[in-house]
Amino acid sequence: MKKLKIKGFFKDITGSMRVSKRRNASIKNASPVNDYKDPIKELALELHPVVTHVIVKKVEDVSPTARKFTFVAIDGDKLPPFEAGQYVSLDLEIDGKKAYRPYSISSAPFQARSGEEPFFEITVRNGRPGQGYVSSYIYANLKEGMKLEAHLPYGQFHIEPLRDSKNIVALAGGSGITPFYSMAQEIAHGTLDVDLTILYGSVSHDDIILEKQIQAIHCPRVKFINVISGEGAKLLPGDEKGFISRDIIKKYSVDQDPSNGKTTYFVCGPLPMYLFINKELEALKVPYRRIRMEVFGSTPDVTKNEGYPAGKEKEVYKITVKRGIHEDIIDAKGSETIQNAMERAGIPHETRCRSGACGWCRTKVEKGEFFVPSVGDGRRAADKEYGYVHACATYPLSDMVIKIEIE
Amino acid sequence: MAENIKFYKDHYDVIIIGCSLAGMSAGMTLAKEGKSVLILERHNLPGGLATSFVRSGHEMEATLHEMMSIGKEEERLPVGKYLDDMKVAIDWLRVPEAFRLYVPTDDIDILIHAGIDSDGVYVAAKEIEEKYPGNLEKVNKLLHLCKEVMESTNYLNDHTASKIELLKNHSGLAKTAGYSAKEVMDAFEIPEKVQAVLSAYWIYVGQPVSSLPFTIFAFLLGDYLTGGSFVAKNFSHGMSVAMAEKCLELGCQIEYRTEVTKILVKDGKAYGVRTAHGEEIHGHYIISGVYPDAVFGHMIEPQSEVPEKAVKLYHGRKIGVTCFSVVLLLDQTPEQLGIKDYSIFSGTSHFDTDAYWAQGSKLGGWDYLTTICLNYANPEQIPEGMTSLSITNLPLPVAFEDVKADDYFAIKRKYGKEMIESISKLLGVNLLDHVVEVEIESPATISHYSGQYLGGIYGYQHSMDDAIAARLETYGKEHYIQNLTWASSATLAGDGMAINIKNGRIAAQVVDTWEKEGK
Repeated sequence: MKKLKIKGFFKDITGSMRVSKRRNASIKNASPVNDYKDPIKELALELHPVVTHVIVKKVEDVSPTARKFTFVAIDGDKLPPFEAGQYVSLDLEIDGKKAYRPYSISSAPFQARSGEEPFFEITVRNGRPGQGYVSSYIYANLKEGMKLEAHLPYGQFHIEPLRDSKNIVALAGGSGITPFYSMAQEIAHGTLDVDLTILYGSVSHDDIILEKQIQAIHCPRVKFINVISGEGAKLLPGDEKGFISRDIIKKYSVDQDPSNGKTTYFVCGPLPMYLFINKELEALKVPYRRIRMEVFGSTPDVTKNEGYPAGKEKEVYKITVKRGIHEDIIDAKGSETIQNAMERAGIPHETRCRSGACGWCRTKVEKGEFFVPSVGDGRRAADKEYGYVHACATYPLSDMVIKIEIE
Repeated sequence: MAENIKFYKDHYDVIIIGCSLAGMSAGMTLAKEGKSVLILERHNLPGGLATSFVRSGHEMEATLHEMMSIGKEEERLPVGKYLDDMKVAIDWLRVPEAFRLYVPTDDIDILIHAGIDSDGVYVAAKEIEEKYPGNLEKVNKLLHLCKEVMESTNYLNDHTASKIELLKNHSGLAKTAGYSAKEVMDAFEIPEKVQAVLSAYWIYVGQPVSSLPFTIFAFLLGDYLTGGSFVAKNFSHGMSVAMAEKCLELGCQIEYRTEVTKILVKDGKAYGVRTAHGEEIHGHYIISGVYPDAVFGHMIEPQSEVPEKAVKLYHGRKIGVTCFSVVLLLDQTPEQLGIKDYSIFSGTSHFDTDAYWAQGSKLGGWDYLTTICLNYANPEQIPEGMTSLSITNLPLPVAFEDVKADDYFAIKRKYGKEMIESISKLLGVNLLDHVVEVEIESPATISHYSGQYLGGIYGYQHSMDDAIAARLETYGKEHYIQNLTWASSATLAGDGMAINIKNGRIAAQVVDTWEKEGK
């Protein structure tokens, strides 16, 4: 290898003799023992394990339509630290097909890192017809003793002391309550230094998830108010009536003044609720930096999105899916994301957030037209330019050719 | 894998580990020569640390993103020219000024611009003269020497030179190659405060000027102060995607989220890799973006193929700095916040690169910080009425070695806050009152995304014990496993985004040389 000649290499010169000697000496005197160790990587892997093997330890009903599942780590794995509000992505296999779904962690961070059997929990609502078939599957089929692969923690929907006020008003709908249950427990434990008021919108008390559990948190820093919208629904003492409107938001803000920047609002729930509350917060002149939002899941009805070309939802397209040098051709409905089409066809493709934000399912579109809803679009500028999409939030508008990762 | 599907060819001419700037420049160079190239990347994006991230719809630079060696369109420097020649489409924006150095303790506050006036004098020399009279000639002479070193280095990128040619035509480079930046500045009798101004960029190498080879110092200063620096319009990710697209166009196969865990070696020769999915893929040449420490430490299969001299080599060299950055999106404009410059180097104690460097071995108490306000280079990409700002320190990995996972979030915030408060004090505005988004990147973040040994970003320390001139002499002889070479900041030329594009080309040259030799 002595002959190796590279342009730019210059041979020994007087001045460099000095540095050559120093370098040769350091290498000559170095240890020959191959004792590789990387403590930074060990830390990084403890914080972000590639996968955590878990087992279902407990299943508990927390409303007529929702169940809480408790998981503990197995096979020598350890649960990583996380921040209240973050989510876990679960790997599932349903009828021989791989599915990946994100769930907010409803238990508190300290519970994953202390006690005899550290655990985390998710709370899942039974899916409605036509949507959330995986949630329905989990609700009905996940039993004590079942083993799963989990990926955690993910997401930015957590309180950030360097940014947020110490006064938090949470605006929740449906299973959007789960991250706030996590926060509330962490506050009560004394390891999250904020005051939290949860305004939880439900049609009736029957829809309320985790009601008993949240009410069991006895902590002066946590307030829990049900906002009941159902016509003629029963109200209990302390409830508010109607939707989470500007008047109610105002009432529970610091100095009853949402515009003064003293309150940070965390919004979590389905898309229609997000759109409604967004308008209310705007009307209340809440400073931009005081609003944190997380929208759950992909849009149930793509045609409701601004800019969607009507009629395309009825079409069925052919998508050529490339993985390495392999190709498959699958059917994709105009009304579903290309991620869902792949899932249905049994082509494994990992996701994390499933709402277009995180980019884990970043996919190259080589050919074809598509639609990306603007809400939650987390694509980078260059990706938009070069035709990279997040498969979980991309709808086909023509036949397509895409390239995905090999799982 | 459940399915029995063939995702890879039976054999590739070249397998590249890491779709980094170095990996991609090696890939596109070799693919253009007609070789079959497979690039495997553990992350889901190209570019390694040349990347960006999105929070609530706002894209932010993840890194110190200033590119050297690009040059204006009509007078491209080597990296800019290479990317043009390869037809990689990147919109380059020129950074308006070189830097501001602000060290209140020493009463230093100076704004430096790039360029040479028509009288042949460096603008920077004149700006320094205004503050520190009596140094014009010395500083100008030193800067011209830096330019000479930079031009010689660039010339030698594409040409070989004999010893005589070197001494005759590149005497500036040859004569200074054995000395540190400090030694040369002292030889020029540059006074202390002016040395401070000229040393402001030391952090871009992460080496104090007393042990930073003058070659590197001069290359940096010669490049930045002559032609100025550039940023990619679509963020660093835009540059990375443009390069990845070119790789694909030239026929490279790129697989993201595919981590290489083993490099397969037999009888002293590499012949393939194994992925985390368990696939064995064969290739004639392997180019590793993973640092040699990790490759020899645990990736060579079988470990009995690791030669003792390779272990001594990686033990004998020291991994350089890692990164601790606070990336902020703020709810006012730079004007409203009183931020006037693109790039501010600031010190809150007496300017002393040895002392600053020593602080990098501990957590916190970091006095020398780099603050970059992207608005001044790339205003179109910043949301209206806001400021995109990053504050960076480059500590040594040892500072983080004892951090416990349970303390991690608190530690990140504690030192991130310390940095924000330090810069707030210098600017006279409390940045914490304006935070829209904040992300703190630590060595663990670097390790998580790049997988690099010790969260390293700059490869081996560019010190007098591992000087570039000495590296050049032996690089060819330090390939202890045949057909396995390197493309990362641990390659010959060292750190920096532009330099990594050069490092990738060096890897391609090594492969070409081996091919000619029938290896």
